[in-house]
Amino acid sequence: MIKVNNVSMKFNLGIEKNFSLKLFFINMFKSKKNKPKKEEFWALKDVNFEVKKGEVIGFIGSNGAGKSTMLKVIAGVMKPTTGSVEVYGNICPMIELGAGFDMELTARENIFLNGAVLGYSKQFIEEKFEEIVEFSELREFLDVPVRNFSSGMTARLAFSIATVVDPEILIVDEILSVGDIAFQQKSEAKMKSLIGGGTTVLFVSHSIDQIKSICNKVVWLEHGKVKKIGEAKEICDEYYNTQVS
Amino acid sequence: MFLKNVTTNLKKYSFLLRQLVSRDFKVKYKRSILGVVWSLLYPLLTMAVMAIVFSNVFKFSTPGVSYLAYLLSGLIMFNYYSEASNLSMSSVVANFPLINKIYIPKYIFPLSKCLFVGINFLLTLIPFYIVLFATGTGVNIYHIFLPYAFLCLFMFTLGMGFILSAVSVFLRDMFYIYGIVLTLWTYLTPVMYDINVISKSLQPFLKLNPMYHYINFVREITLYGRIPQPFTWATCIVSSVVVLIIGVVVFRKTQNKFIYYV
Ligand SMILES: Nc1ncnc2c1ncn2[C@@H]1O[C@H](COP(=O)(O)OP(=O)(O)OP(=O)(O)O)[C@@H](O)[C@H]1O
Ligand SMILES: [Mg+2]
Repeated sequence: MIKVNNVSMKFNLGIEKNFSLKLFFINMFKSKKNKPKKEEFWALKDVNFEVKKGEVIGFIGSNGAGKSTMLKVIAGVMKPTTGSVEVYGNICPMIELGAGFDMELTARENIFLNGAVLGYSKQFIEEKFEEIVEFSELREFLDVPVRNFSSGMTARLAFSIATVVDPEILIVDEILSVGDIAFQQKSEAKMKSLIGGGTTVLFVSHSIDQIKSICNKVVWLEHGKVKKIGEAKEICDEYYNTQVS
Repeated sequence: MFLKNVTTNLKKYSFLLRQLVSRDFKVKYKRSILGVVWSLLYPLLTMAVMAIVFSNVFKFSTPGVSYLAYLLSGLIMFNYYSEASNLSMSSVVANFPLINKIYIPKYIFPLSKCLFVGINFLLTLIPFYIVLFATGTGVNIYHIFLPYAFLCLFMFTLGMGFILSAVSVFLRDMFYIYGIVLTLWTYLTPVMYDINVISKSLQPFLKLNPMYHYINFVREITLYGRIPQPFTWATCIVSSVVVLIIGVVVFRKTQNKFIYYV
């Protein structure tokens, strides 16, 4: 279903953002020799793994280990610097929800806009509109601009839009902790029902318990490299022990 | 092959494109009382101000045709270019949060801006025609050729939008530089003066500017009531297609590197 072959991802931290005319001129007048070397940073380095159909894979690792980057490479948001990714099936990337929201627009308008951003068709959104509204429990707020929503309400709306599909591959990056307790339970149940339907899932979370309860296999990333791959419980326990000690 | 790719891609993302354009509309007009009326009023008011300044203070005139109509024809064309190219330029950088999270073909951002301003442009044709009638200029059969100039203007602007948006990702100073370039460009394009007031030796340089030819095309038809010279037809299409191709190539070559500059 998904094959990740020798994927490496390099970010140039040195030139990032500060590249401007000023720097350009400064660099031009500097001699070639003492030009500062571009700071290279490998967010992923030679990552290899395979995901079979129906598998639920968890990704663990400390902050900045490269989990989100890995998912973005699989989702096609980023092209890997070297290596390749093969994906068979349509992906529903839930990497950061509500990315396509326009704060000025109402919830109703945002359902269509965000749906379009996620690649849904007009017909599909119209069909599923009721379901989205129902799940988000935001019916009274449909014609309120999202700018006036609380952050939990925004997250609910985003979650409801993103999960209305039946994707073959689901990519989930730390989104289950949104909303109040009632909605958290509801979203976890929804996630489990999606998983139960035979969907292939790639799952990132800092909650070891969640990973243990949902995933069959775990990839442990450390500084962009795969430290270990294996059965969920085993790897999680090992990871947990290194983290607390 | 490439064209077929583009059309299937456009079909797939046409709904997103429509959503983006309508979003821009809603956001632009939601909070203003006069709403769309501004789109009609704005060029008229600009025209009025400029007409007062240039025809009274500087004594500009355009022999044989109404100065108001002359001014407005240039203004609506140039305003389209400057607004659409400006919005396109910032569209990619402005959507970085999105580009960094979801796969969307990035060309859709400059394209949606050019279309959005394009709809505004079509609205400004209403005040333009009102002025044509009010000044006694009237209309003629050759007006059916106007869409040709509009299409060329659109392709040229889209091409520039691709180039500017790609370059500005790598060089954020572009926003300032282009602002100045655009101001200069406004004065170097015969919008408020007739090219014949410029000395003969400088005229060829002004004619290197594609915008001059699109505007000239429109003026030949609407003001002078004649079919533009074959040379004008050719310059319009060649300049716009060439710029569009350059834009597409630049954008395609650089778009995979955008992510490093987020
Ligand atoms: N667009 C970018 N440009 C430069 N560096 C980046 C970019 N995106 C990510 N990085 C870097 O790559 C590294 C990995 O980031 P990533 O977001 O994948 O971490 P993560 O494992 O998801 O961490 P967290 O647990 O905090 O979510 C980080 O050090 C980050 O600074
Ligand atoms: Mg992350």
